[in-house]
Amino acid sequence: MFLRFVEGIGSKTLSIFNSFYEAFYFTFICFIHLINPKSYSPAMLMVLVKQIYFTAVTIIPLFTMMAIIFGSIIIGVVISLASVYGLQDSIGSILITFSVDEFAPFFTALLISLRSGTAVNTEISVMSVNNELNTLKEYKIDLINYLFLPRIISGIISVTSLSILFALIMLSSGYLFTLFYMNMDFHTYSSLLLTAIELSDVIILLSKGIAFGFVAMIIPIYSGLNTANSYTAIPISVLNGMVKLFIALFIIEVLSLLIQSI
Amino acid sequence: MLENIALIKEVHHYKSIVSAEKEAKDYLSKINIENISNNRVIQCSNLEIFYVKLIRALMTDEDNIIIVLPFSITANLTDVKSFIDNIYMLNHKKILILELYTNKSKYEGILCNIVK
Repeated sequence: MFLRFVEGIGSKTLSIFNSFYEAFYFTFICFIHLINPKSYSPAMLMVLVKQIYFTAVTIIPLFTMMAIIFGSIIIGVVISLASVYGLQDSIGSILITFSVDEFAPFFTALLISLRSGTAVNTEISVMSVNNELNTLKEYKIDLINYLFLPRIISGIISVTSLSILFALIMLSSGYLFTLFYMNMDFHTYSSLLLTAIELSDVIILLSKGIAFGFVAMIIPIYSGLNTANSYTAIPISVLNGMVKLFIALFIIEVLSLLIQSI
Repeated sequence: MLENIALIKEVHHYKSIVSAEKEAKDYLSKINIENISNNRVIQCSNLEIFYVKLIRALMTDEDNIIIVLPFSITANLTDVKSFIDNIYMLNHKKILILELYTNKSKYEGILCNIVK
């Protein structure tokens, strides 16, 4: 009985380590393909353009509306709290840290994961169940180059560019609230922000956008690839993929906070 | 269908989309089915899907193409002569058809080497 229990723990541990190894190996292989110029065939570039269009362009109206609503409310709360606690002098750095470093990339990553992550996970699962992936392999078409890389690159580009857009909308809303709460004119507001923003903030925004975009695509792709060969396995694959993706997003966020606090 | 066929040349020979699709369209025109160029699989007949698969195989760098039991792939195949003629028209590679002995009569009078 006890032996079986120990064996169970050992087997589970080995299985966890094995799946971690496979996931990291897959990520490594994708990264190697990413930096290889031969991966970029005309077919791949066409898929990339379509992916960027569907991931980043078609979402712009909804994204802008959500950024205006959520961004304005949250930035309004931050500004009102700052004025209550007498932090008017630091309002520039508070706004930059909150919107550029933290909220914009994380919110964008959540939105892209919900919208495109699920779509990619389902698409790859369906292709796997329908044997379409095997057909592509039969024709010696590299799945990583043709299917996965365009999605990963579009994820990186989309999350990074939309994060910048989100941060800009939040900062614009911030002006309205500073005008209302602190009677601050535009010139003062913009010079406050320009004084507060540093190169490190831009680097943080870009690196978080890249990291979030990368995992927002690679985890759904990997989950879709490991779908069992039946249609009923597709929702299970999407569910597992999304749980892993959200855990990964939170881990990246926590790690970035830890790195910034050092 | 055009995208489907052209993909092989785009990936293996880094051909531009325009020129790969032109080549694919030329193949479809040879057997008078260029009208399916913009169709999806669901809009094509079994025979048209078969020809697309064959053209896709012709686009690869393989020297030989093996067709296994064409009558099972295209269930409603009746006119074998035009089918073989179309294969000849498309062909610039060695094509081998693996067929059941019971279907031998269907190939009578058709110009192709039959090896038992």
